[in-house]
Amino acid sequence: MNDIFAAASVVFSFNALLMIFVGTLAGVIIGALPGLTVNMGIALLMPLTFSFQGLTGILMLIGVYCGAIYGGSITAILINTPGTPASAATILDGYPLALRGEAGRALGLSTLSSTVGGIFGAICLVLVSPLLAKVAVGMSAPEYFSLAVFGISIITSVSSHSIIKGLMGGCIGLAIATVGLDPMTAGFRFTFDSVYLMGGISFVPVLVGLFAFSQGLISLEDNHRGSENRKVQVAIKRIFPTWADFKRVFPTQIRSAAIGTVIGAIPGTGGDIASYVSYTEAKRWSKHPEEFGHGSIEGVSAPEAGANAVAGGAMVPLLTLGIPGDGATAIMMGAFMVQGLSLGPLLFKEHPIEVNTIFIGLFVANILMGLIGFAGLRLSTRIMDVPPRILVPVVLTLCAVGAYSVNHTMIDVFVMMLAGTLGYILIKLDFSMSPIVIGIILGPMAETNLRRSLVMSEGDYSVFVTRPICLSFLIIAVVTLFLPIVGPKLWNWWKKRSGGPVLPENETQE
Amino acid sequence: MKKLSLLVAVTLSAVVGQAMAQSLTYPTKNITVVIPKNPGGGTDTSARTLIEFTKSALPKGVMFVPENKPAGNGVAGLIEVAKSKPDGYKLVMTTVELAMFPHEGKSPVTYADFTPIVTPIADPCSLVVKADAPYKTLKEFLDAAKANPGKIKVGNSGVGAIYHLAALNMERKLGLKFNNVPYNEGIGPAIGALVGGHLDAVITTPGTAKSQVDAGALRILGVMDSQRFELFPDVPTFKEVLGQDLGLKMRAWAVLAAPAKLPQKIADELITAFGKTVNSPEYQAAMKKQGIMPIVMLGKNAEMMMKEDHETYKELIAEAKKK
Repeated sequence: MNDIFAAASVVFSFNALLMIFVGTLAGVIIGALPGLTVNMGIALLMPLTFSFQGLTGILMLIGVYCGAIYGGSITAILINTPGTPASAATILDGYPLALRGEAGRALGLSTLSSTVGGIFGAICLVLVSPLLAKVAVGMSAPEYFSLAVFGISIITSVSSHSIIKGLMGGCIGLAIATVGLDPMTAGFRFTFDSVYLMGGISFVPVLVGLFAFSQGLISLEDNHRGSENRKVQVAIKRIFPTWADFKRVFPTQIRSAAIGTVIGAIPGTGGDIASYVSYTEAKRWSKHPEEFGHGSIEGVSAPEAGANAVAGGAMVPLLTLGIPGDGATAIMMGAFMVQGLSLGPLLFKEHPIEVNTIFIGLFVANILMGLIGFAGLRLSTRIMDVPPRILVPVVLTLCAVGAYSVNHTMIDVFVMMLAGTLGYILIKLDFSMSPIVIGIILGPMAETNLRRSLVMSEGDYSVFVTRPICLSFLIIAVVTLFLPIVGPKLWNWWKKRSGGPVLPENETQE
Repeated sequence: MKKLSLLVAVTLSAVVGQAMAQSLTYPTKNITVVIPKNPGGGTDTSARTLIEFTKSALPKGVMFVPENKPAGNGVAGLIEVAKSKPDGYKLVMTTVELAMFPHEGKSPVTYADFTPIVTPIADPCSLVVKADAPYKTLKEFLDAAKANPGKIKVGNSGVGAIYHLAALNMERKLGLKFNNVPYNEGIGPAIGALVGGHLDAVITTPGTAKSQVDAGALRILGVMDSQRFELFPDVPTFKEVLGQDLGLKMRAWAVLAAPAKLPQKIADELITAFGKTVNSPEYQAAMKKQGIMPIVMLGKNAEMMMKEDHETYKELIAEAKKK
């Protein structure tokens, strides 16, 4: 108990609170800017922590971490551009809501969900981290593979216009992900003797291009034609979500947060994967699955709650095992070591005050994140009032800056523009971007772990059916993949047999 | 981004004391230090620590500007510096991959394209197993491996990377056969898999496994070096256990280097300045805090190590390709 009080006195000192606040605010801004990611924000601010006494610097990084994951949703909802990869799934329902003039409602829900998700993750970290760590290391390549396949299987559910185009998009994404060194044999794949391609096509520039740059091009076109495409009235009646909304999304938030925490705890996976998996699960469990993709409030809440819960989850292996759960915590690990904290099983025994400080800091950062989000809500929705002819050039410039800053190379900027042009063409052809992004995010995870499983089992495919967790994920994946395709047909067949009303075929394509 | 890094650099320079006298006289503008790796990794941390403690050697108004360029597995950054003007304004933190990539067709530049200045790290590879594994010593492990060819699962950080080549070297020199499992995401997830019991062993540097070893979850069986590793004085070297030197010497190093044909005067100045840093106790303490064993290896010595490893890996990779 003394440890907790000692830790609380560290966190609630003026300096520490100020640093968490500064960190969270910086995180929200970094997250909201397309191309600047969580990892980059933490890497940029990490050297600063060397000069702080004790854990203050680390508390600031925790603030950045939480803030940046949330910040991405602001741009996702308002200008249809994910600020970070983790909020790519938020676009699916966030932007349609904003187009309906409900940007305030969407942002309120995303802020609330982020906070709920973040706090849920923090609670899990405090209460069950040893157990979670056990679950995380208990999973091996076959489980990771099935999890990735499960994530990929949602492409049929997120394709807004046609399932075939969704599947094609998914294949485009998977194809992009194969460029570079073969993960198992280190052979060259589609590298054309280019040093740049050897490292694979950078993910962030492609993401920024597909979503933001393409959208910019479409706005340019609209502007040229003289038709203002966004006459959206933004009247914010209230900042906080209504009680009815909250009651409806709360189960989704908790479910997504649980998914996010577990995914965060698995080494090598992060918010981008968690948000898509949470989204699918939300859709599967929802009483209104038909609303998804057209501005479902659960669709906004699920990815945000999932992605923000990752923060708490990713700290589990970092603190208990000394193994970072995702890229951001990998960078933070350096900051911990500079302060003389060797992470791992002994941390809890040797540094109880520091551990409690991190716990409390994580709660405070999540609460501050919510406060900053709600306080800035009116201000940020004003983006909707900016005329496209001003907003679009700003967004296009930010795209270039964001793409460049990932690797400090112009090639990434060209990749971004190329992806943007491709995205523009695909949007004109009625493709949706999400299946492509899902393919790029989850393709490598699926491929690597499939092949790693087979290396470990010496080519024996039975590992995928003899391990219960793996098998159940695969079964759910098959159901998720085919339900949107065969589901309506089965339904019609059943109805026809019993003489009920038949769903029109074109509607079921949604 | 650059502005932000400048800002960060300025803030930091205000913090770290100006203890050392200025010993670099040539710079009239900022020196770029290319780090061909992602921020936060061992290479990045050691590079940043190194330049942090050498900052005071620079004339007023001039600073080191670190730039992370991880594109193309870091090769893009290596090429950029190798092809730049040898005037001392562009440095790069090369890593042990520079001794391997050229033989794997992944890099057009080799150690000969650089002027080595200082080696902040050269950690040996070590064999790590679970603490409750059936083999308690290196000898028992090797016997088990001999008895079960192709059955023992050894994790590494990707095919063709140092830990994989270390495993191949063991196979070749000791007549063993492992089931090598690559974790191209990095050695962290491989150690996670070892803790979870999905692998039988992992080859990595002792520092990366330290927290697990201290907690009694993992055990280091042996290090591949000519002497024992300072952080784990109880762990024997392979040479001691085998009773003979089979050339099982593998180290993960990083060398700060300038382009080849650097004028002798500039090279000397840089070597003196960084030499002072790596010998200072404050710097060494800072490195140890980050789990890195600081070493002192400058100029010619660093070049010798790079050359030696270049030859070792040439053979090893040729051998690996035959399979």
